[in-house]
Amino acid sequence: MAPGVALAPGLTSFLKSLKTNPADSSVEHLISLLKRRQIRNSRPCAIATAALISKVVGEFKGNDATRLLERIRQVGRRLTAAQPREVVVGNIVRRVLGLIREVVEDNVGGEPANNSETGRSTPTQSQDLASRPHLNSTISSMSPLRHAAIEPIETSNYSSDISDSGELTKRPPLLTSHTSYAPTSTAPLVNSLFGLFSQPVESSTASTPTVPNSPDGKTPHSLNLDRLVDLRGSQQYFDLKGEVMSGIMELQEELEQSDKQIADFAHEHIHANEIILTHTASTTVQTFLAKAAKNRKFTVVHAETYPHDNAATHEVLLTGRKQDARAGAPHDDDDRWKCLTELGIPVYVIPDSHVFAIMSRVNKVILATHTVLANGGLVAAGGAHLIAQAAKSHQTPVVVLSGVYKLSPVYPFDLDELIEYGDVGAVVPYDDGEFVDKVDVEHPLYDYVSADLVDLYITNLGGHAPSFLYRIVADHYRPEDTVL
Amino acid sequence: MSESATKEATSASEVPIKTQDVQPTQAASDSKESKQSGSDAKNTKPTEGDAPKKLSPAELKKQKAAEKQARRAQQKAAGPAPSQQASQSKEGQKQQKGPKQGPKEDKSRPLPVRRRPSQSNAPISQAPRKESKIEARQVGLFFGHLYSQPRKHSMAGASKDVHPAILALGLQYSSYTICGSTARMVAMLLAFKALIASYQTPVGTSLSRHLIQLLGPQIEYLRDCRPYSITMGNAIRWLKDIIVKTDPSTPEADAKRDLLEEIDMFIRERVTAADKLIRELAVTKILPGDVILTYASSSIVEQTLLQAHHAGINFSVIVVDSKPLFEGRTLARKLANAGIKVRYFLITGASHAIKDASKVFLGAHAMMSNGRLYSRVGTALVSMLANAQSLPVIVLCESVKFTEKVALDSIVGNEVAPAEELLSEAERQNLLPLKNLLPKSHPANAEENNTEGAASAPSDVLKWIDGSKNLHHLQVLYDVTPAEYIDMIITEYGSLPPSSVPVVHRLSTNT
Repeated sequence: MAPGVALAPGLTSFLKSLKTNPADSSVEHLISLLKRRQIRNSRPCAIATAALISKVVGEFKGNDATRLLERIRQVGRRLTAAQPREVVVGNIVRRVLGLIREVVEDNVGGEPANNSETGRSTPTQSQDLASRPHLNSTISSMSPLRHAAIEPIETSNYSSDISDSGELTKRPPLLTSHTSYAPTSTAPLVNSLFGLFSQPVESSTASTPTVPNSPDGKTPHSLNLDRLVDLRGSQQYFDLKGEVMSGIMELQEELEQSDKQIADFAHEHIHANEIILTHTASTTVQTFLAKAAKNRKFTVVHAETYPHDNAATHEVLLTGRKQDARAGAPHDDDDRWKCLTELGIPVYVIPDSHVFAIMSRVNKVILATHTVLANGGLVAAGGAHLIAQAAKSHQTPVVVLSGVYKLSPVYPFDLDELIEYGDVGAVVPYDDGEFVDKVDVEHPLYDYVSADLVDLYITNLGGHAPSFLYRIVADHYRPEDTVL
Repeated sequence: MSESATKEATSASEVPIKTQDVQPTQAASDSKESKQSGSDAKNTKPTEGDAPKKLSPAELKKQKAAEKQARRAQQKAAGPAPSQQASQSKEGQKQQKGPKQGPKEDKSRPLPVRRRPSQSNAPISQAPRKESKIEARQVGLFFGHLYSQPRKHSMAGASKDVHPAILALGLQYSSYTICGSTARMVAMLLAFKALIASYQTPVGTSLSRHLIQLLGPQIEYLRDCRPYSITMGNAIRWLKDIIVKTDPSTPEADAKRDLLEEIDMFIRERVTAADKLIRELAVTKILPGDVILTYASSSIVEQTLLQAHHAGINFSVIVVDSKPLFEGRTLARKLANAGIKVRYFLITGASHAIKDASKVFLGAHAMMSNGRLYSRVGTALVSMLANAQSLPVIVLCESVKFTEKVALDSIVGNEVAPAEELLSEAERQNLLPLKNLLPKSHPANAEENNTEGAASAPSDVLKWIDGSKNLHHLQVLYDVTPAEYIDMIITEYGSLPPSSVPVVHRLSTNT
């Protein structure tokens, strides 16, 4: 699939081949890479998925939002089926789906009063207040209702084949309750509902005001005008593809920037002379610590995460970055990068078994994560649960660093489903045939850490309590996309 | 915990023959080694630790300065300690100190000072603790106080009084060939038997006096190879006690015979018979269908599981293991060979392993008087997980492992393992390709320009780590499990809660 690549198949080779190959074969390529685990870990998966989806959108013909949704959803379904445990793949697909919905809603809803923002919101609001004053308040404050209220409009604006995509049937109780108090004439209903959903969208951007660039791409009007022209000349009705493309570009930018944005919070969380325990070779954590190291002195104790991540960990500690990160950000010149030890931070590598012994002297635990789940729990490299539990028993605060893209709308109903098992040869070498024969050797790659063991999440939006994560999930994903 | 390595421990009667087998070959290779390093036998320090490393002179100087500082700090630390200890353990003090300090030549003067940190963990007072924290910035985080001197890997520099059996034993200690507190104690007693058997009282002294003097260098050599286990300390104390009590009027042959018999008795009573009792008691705790989780390797846990299997109980075992010794592998292999269904996890997978377990059996290195378990590092994690899952945590432990020492955390008293053990040969090999990715300022890069074309060996990786100023590898061997995680301790005196440890300790030492 990857023609003439000297590199080992992986993210770099995939991104390279994406330039030449058509979308369909690229989908196959990524599926095979995911299946063979040649692309693994959250960031590479996210980057690859975002690149692929933008390719798919770019090759999509026509301006039919429903078909585009269906196309991406189908690609997403195949990708997640190829590697269900890389939840990030599904996250990115869902983000794009939400993006398309938003573009459609914004354009359809914003069209009549496009010339002035105030002129759009005030009449609908007054109309709303006149007809059902109580409804307005409940809808704007509660997210599930809000989404339920949106759905009828979507169907009315999309082409008629939306009914077999299953969206209408997904939330029958809410829909019926909604229709029960809807007036009989459809025209005013549609109008008033436009006003309704335009408000929550604004409120959700307002809920995370500190972010420099909102990851959702929620200001399409200002963004599009320049880029749209060269992307698609014919702009009938509105430029769906162009807007979606620019949204995906923002998403890709978010993937790139999230580490730096998270690192910007470092000074709020690390004080002088602290002893910080961390694990794995996470670039996010290393960036975070490096940022703090610029003007603070502290000590890092690093659990080496044997046997699945120890090589990468030692690599990071010796050289400052790992192979993945190098491949993922080729334009980032390596000279500028300094590893923690170069910055004058003493780093002590310990085997994972030492965590309890050392925990009593540790001030803060910083964990990297694989995926964050909507209930505030997280899936992280094996050993994370041990560390979190030991921290809990010593009352040491546990901070989890995670980009928003790792935040998933999935609830962990079946924990075992999320855990991937790795190569047993890493635990006991296969030369020891007799041993491997007689003993069941197991090598779980991930641990599930429940929300009560975590004290704080730091995402690129800021710090959050684990109990608040569901709200951020609601900001970034549409409930109708939760099931791909 | 983890008295796996040698089978010497099991039966007192078999063992002497076995050790005798080991000795000659071991001694032969040892003598070769000593010849090699004979030239610098005078200053042992650089020989042992730095053989593979080669530091620059400046670094050597720095290291020496740090060592000096450490020694000074320990001297201070040791200052107030004896007075405290004197009141605490009158008996031990009398036997350890009395003979040691009196008749020894000047060489032994600094020794009691140096050995303090490795041996006694509890009674270090508050003030010196702070000092060691400052110096810990340079060595081993807050474990700086434990880095006294590198472990001895050769016989070079050993006192000429050290018996060949002891010489061989020391090397077996330092290479973990004999590992695990019971195994180490038994092996030591057997070596002492060899010493006593070949001992002749010089003219003009009495056996009780001279033999005690002779024990000094032996013990010192063993300690240089690897710090004492608690059991070894207990056994040495006991042995010195009976030597002192030997009537000077008894003929030498009789006295020697009595001593040998006493040692045999000790091993039989405190280890062999105790193990049997513990085993029998512990087997009753294994029910059909149980999934027993154990950490690393303990000979008594192993015996128990095997006995339960032979008794026809249908159960399975999960062995959780950890770097760098991988003692659990030996245990898992033995159990699997016996036909028990075994699953094997590393400590990072322990959270998954614990879900399927129904009971946790642990071995001990020592039981502290405040009910805490001092055992192979990682044990605390496993018992913490078990406690969080409300699984019973059962410690199997002979009463000879009980000590009057107390411990609050795993930091004040512990044993530091050489940092280079953290990376196995294979891992180093894997890291080799990183050479040209090392930061520009790294000393290894500068060195590289001089020695271009030199084949890179896995040991280079260690040099990188040594070379980079702020990167340290840290390894200790034990940790302390809080008493609240332990539900039951099975000893030869019966099953008890952690709070009863001091009582049983008193019982077992008084009788």
